Amino acid sequence: MKKKLQRVAAGALIVSSIAALCGCGQKTSDKDEQGRTVISVGGWPLSEGKSLDAMNQRKETFEKENPDVFVKGDSWSFSIDTFYAKAAGGTLPTVYSTNFTELAQIISSGYSADLTDVLKKRGYDGKFNPAILDLASKDGKVYSFPTSAYILGLGYNTELFEQAGLMEADGTPKQPKDWDEVAEFAKIIKEKTGKAGIVFPTAGNQGGWMFTPLAYSYGVEFVKKGEDGKWTAAFNTPECVEALQWVKDLKWKHNVVPENVTIDADKYYELFSTGQAAMMIAPGNYSDYVIQYGMTPDQLGIMAYPAGPKRHVTLVGGELQSVTSKATDDQVDAAVRWIETKCNYQATDAFKQTTQNNIEKKLSDNVIVGIKGMSVWNRDTESVAYENDLIDQKCNINPNHVKLYNDFVQNPCELQAEVPVCAQELYKILDNCITSVFSDENADCAAIIEKACKDFQMDYLDNVDY
Amino acid sequence: MKISVKNNKTKRIFGKQIVPWLLICPLIIVLYLAVWRPTVIGAFWSFFKMNAYNPGRFVGLENYKLVISNSQFFLILCNTMMYVFWSLVIGFIPPLAIAIMINEMVHLKSQMRVVMYLPAVIPGIAAMLIWARMYDPSSSGLLNMLLARFGIDAFGWLDNPKFTIIGIVLYMTWSGFAGTMLLYYATVQGISSELYEAALIDGAGPLRRCWHVTLPQMSGILLLNLVRQIIGVFQVMEQPLAMTDGGPNGASASLSYQLYLYGFKSSGQRTGQAMALGVIIFLILLVLTCFYFWLNRKVENNF
Repeated sequence: MKKKLQRVAAGALIVSSIAALCGCGQKTSDKDEQGRTVISVGGWPLSEGKSLDAMNQRKETFEKENPDVFVKGDSWSFSIDTFYAKAAGGTLPTVYSTNFTELAQIISSGYSADLTDVLKKRGYDGKFNPAILDLASKDGKVYSFPTSAYILGLGYNTELFEQAGLMEADGTPKQPKDWDEVAEFAKIIKEKTGKAGIVFPTAGNQGGWMFTPLAYSYGVEFVKKGEDGKWTAAFNTPECVEALQWVKDLKWKHNVVPENVTIDADKYYELFSTGQAAMMIAPGNYSDYVIQYGMTPDQLGIMAYPAGPKRHVTLVGGELQSVTSKATDDQVDAAVRWIETKCNYQATDAFKQTTQNNIEKKLSDNVIVGIKGMSVWNRDTESVAYENDLIDQKCNINPNHVKLYNDFVQNPCELQAEVPVCAQELYKILDNCITSVFSDENADCAAIIEKACKDFQMDYLDNVDY
Repeated sequence: MKISVKNNKTKRIFGKQIVPWLLICPLIIVLYLAVWRPTVIGAFWSFFKMNAYNPGRFVGLENYKLVISNSQFFLILCNTMMYVFWSLVIGFIPPLAIAIMINEMVHLKSQMRVVMYLPAVIPGIAAMLIWARMYDPSSSGLLNMLLARFGIDAFGWLDNPKFTIIGIVLYMTWSGFAGTMLLYYATVQGISSELYEAALIDGAGPLRRCWHVTLPQMSGILLLNLVRQIIGVFQVMEQPLAMTDGGPNGASASLSYQLYLYGFKSSGQRTGQAMALGVIIFLILLVLTCFYFWLNRKVENNF
């Protein structure tokens, strides 16, 4: 009897473990029993709270207006570490958000569905801002729905600026026009407050990413594509050396940066938001990142991105919504309708509700409300007007702190697309260049750039398609 | 007739042992899915051009060539060896010394054991971040504040390319010595007291007792731990990832950290090279592991 029991127990163990294994491979159809199209939505909040309530409300309103669709939450949200594994395993949610840096690679890997037809059908022709739509397209087809766009500006600590006398009485900061003025401002701040004037990142690819627009403004071109389709690293130029020299001077000539040599994205935001540095290059939504260190919205400001000796350019950051390439036509259509509840050129009720909820959440999280994003639309739309009005109404800071940035967004400089090939690897190599000049007073900028260019060519560009 | 012979054979293998086999099954399945299958497939796919995580065309040794010809490869290989070297210099003696020390203590023995084990209880990443804080190169870093007390200038710590590996190894020693110490402690406790009594009668002091009785009795486990430590430290990855990002300028990047970059930070472009590097690390460790097993057998025969 005992033996039999043992066997039964062992058998049950095996059956259950096999069943558990088989469970993972189930295929789902795009319809549920009631014939509704099922879409899963990434980034669904996991924990109880305001975000989840807002999401559920959004789902409820959406399903009432679109009775043929059923929305399922998926708690995975985009990260470059997990994206490609999930995509290869076919387990991406139907709708996922992504960012401008990674999008080109996602499109060429074929994991983002072609939205051109659905967008055309739903009347989006000519509606998007062409500069931004370009970043979401390949060969004339649109692969992603841009929902928010933030250009890089110059973030600053309002208290340190005030102490350094770099602020008007009404709270409008003085704007450094170019990089030399940025260095001058940093010197004044260091002198008056004893804090570092500016922080520049050096690690985790953040330094490289921040260095590229600086170098573009000096007239650098990072890569060139030959007629034979081969890529050449082209930043071995005096302009690029000059840009790196500017970074080096911050430390050794002006002594206006923090002592840290390794500064990744987290450290970058931490140094700024703990008041150890007064300026940082940052996207318009940067207050999302700095509040976790206890900075209040009042201490934060942002203004326009400085110009370089050759060009005035900045990078676009922000969010796009993609649809997995595994989606059926019905799902793509439903997914675009879902995205419209968040980003729409018409101020629909669903859009208004989502926008209100977002702003309420920002207020309760103590994030700045007052910075306006760049419109993804071609001209003033009623949705943008609605959102901007709401931002003005709910603004929780002195609007003059961010006025220069909001003006800059209305009337921006050139928008630069990111390096189209091996961008992350280039950023890593540039990280090393910055670390080198920060850790060695006698570092030779020309030699460093020369080596970086050679390494980038040999290690990466020469075998883009091996 | 034939069938019954076959049945007999199956019976001999599984026969009465069917229950143990069934019970071991879940473990085998998990090991197969999580270790054996990916290892074999990874090694196989390292000869293919990978499109993110799907194999494309066969490219032979191209992935290996790319890994080894990368301008950073030898720097990173040397770094990895430096980790092993410093971990032996810094980290090998403390657990042994502390184990013997606790064994010799008369009072507060068990309390001391608990206190010494505490570092192993702190979650890894949290401890790494705390250490990175202590090493902060600005004047507000804990260690630099201590230096300032003695009027010494601030030091770069992990930002100093010459110190960064040593700094990480110091953390690894701190966080890892407790487990090894307990192992040594158990061995020390197991040494027959007759040997010590004999040594006492011969007039040996504490140091001579340690040298002539304790250490020879422990040489087996010391050797095994030496090899285990070499293998373990050779795979160092999360410490540079969390504490330095492999910096400054790649000075603390290790082979496993590079593998992580290839696998997860290359937008799916270099997964093939990640697999090739995985095989390279595997081969290096295979040699060390064979040595470990050979040593293990020897040790077991001798002691």
